[in-house]
Amino acid sequence: MALTAAEHEVTGWAEAVEAYFERGWTDGLPVVPATAEAVQSFLDAAGRKPGDVVLREATRRRSITAEKVAINAVMAGCRADYMPVLLAALEAMADPAFTLHGAITSTGGSATLVVVNGPIRHRLGFNAGGNVFGPGWRANATIGRAIRLVTLNCLGAQPGLLDRSTQGHPGKYTYCIAELEEENPWTPLHVDRGLRREASAVTVYASEAPHNVLSHYGESAEAVIVAIADTMASLGSFSPGESFVVLAPEHVQILARDGWTKPRIREGLYARARRTRADLKRGGKLAGAVEPGDEAQWVHRGHGPEDVHIVVAGGGAGGHSAFIPSWSRDRNSLAVTREIR
Amino acid sequence: MTIKILDPTVSAEESAGIAVAKRVADLDGKVLGLLHNGKVNGDRLLELVREQLGARYRLREIVVVQKPSASRVAEDAVLDRLARDCDAVVTAIGD
Repeated sequence: MALTAAEHEVTGWAEAVEAYFERGWTDGLPVVPATAEAVQSFLDAAGRKPGDVVLREATRRRSITAEKVAINAVMAGCRADYMPVLLAALEAMADPAFTLHGAITSTGGSATLVVVNGPIRHRLGFNAGGNVFGPGWRANATIGRAIRLVTLNCLGAQPGLLDRSTQGHPGKYTYCIAELEEENPWTPLHVDRGLRREASAVTVYASEAPHNVLSHYGESAEAVIVAIADTMASLGSFSPGESFVVLAPEHVQILARDGWTKPRIREGLYARARRTRADLKRGGKLAGAVEPGDEAQWVHRGHGPEDVHIVVAGGGAGGHSAFIPSWSRDRNSLAVTREIR
Repeated sequence: MTIKILDPTVSAEESAGIAVAKRVADLDGKVLGLLHNGKVNGDRLLELVREQLGARYRLREIVVVQKPSASRVAEDAVLDRLARDCDAVVTAIGD
């Protein structure tokens, strides 16, 4: 089956790069010109036909085909063999639990965090170690960017038009990490979410930027838990939504050494990540004046320990973990995991 | 060397088979639906709409419904009810 996207002729490579800017088809950075040859090679690598529908978004009535995904993947700088990861992530975003239209347009300004698990991490060269949220790794950088380009070009979430983010965050350029399963003494994320350990998987999560949790000197599991829970309880992001906690290897070693299992960590964080109703009212998180009893009534972040998702990633040195709050302030958008096939 | 680049964009699909609802000339004797999007103050905005339209027309009935969450689309049952029972519907957020 032939490609069907409209073609635009330009006089050379540099002019092509400029043409994307002029047409409003970029994220503000230069893109790789997507030629029919390149796009076909991406489709071939994924074993998809151009017209295969990858994602439907009902609110804006958009159907995104494999061809359009491949075009945006080429533009983002992906390699052809990244396509299965990108397709799995987009299919996960199409799950009704993710609430795609809300997540990409809300004033809340979320980005789609993608967490990659399984053997594909090594095959494609994902970074799960030092500077895991930072630059320098093609798979992380370009797959996250491709999701943003699809969001901009195919879902109509242009800033100021359908994307009404009040501030947004830097993860809206790219936001893709892998889990450092080799430093995880417990189960990796995709196993927690019901998949086999040998499977490769993506988990997508509409979320805020990472909040750093620096805890260098406690050297006990209790200290690590206290610091993370305090960050989770901060008023700015406080809600009954989900939490992702990306534990640095140093913190993992302390927790494991002190005998903490993953269920205990999740329970410990849920139990401590709480505020009084009085605090929530004083901070404008709840309406109304502080009333008798509010000082003694506690509200937790999330609905229970199962709302705290643990991922291991980061460099070997440094007591820096991260808390990533959900965009959704309750159940409106939930993390979704899909196997990469 | 000329090269051809492919259009990366997707447009909204035509709503095949779904016609735009018949327009009403006025609201006298009509049923008005008010769909509160779920955002803060949307209900207050719609209350103003109800007052204004109520002063201008002899409304037969007003149907008020609220989405449980602003982020999620209205459930089919809610939309079906509005389509079945109302001559016109106003929806609002009040952010």
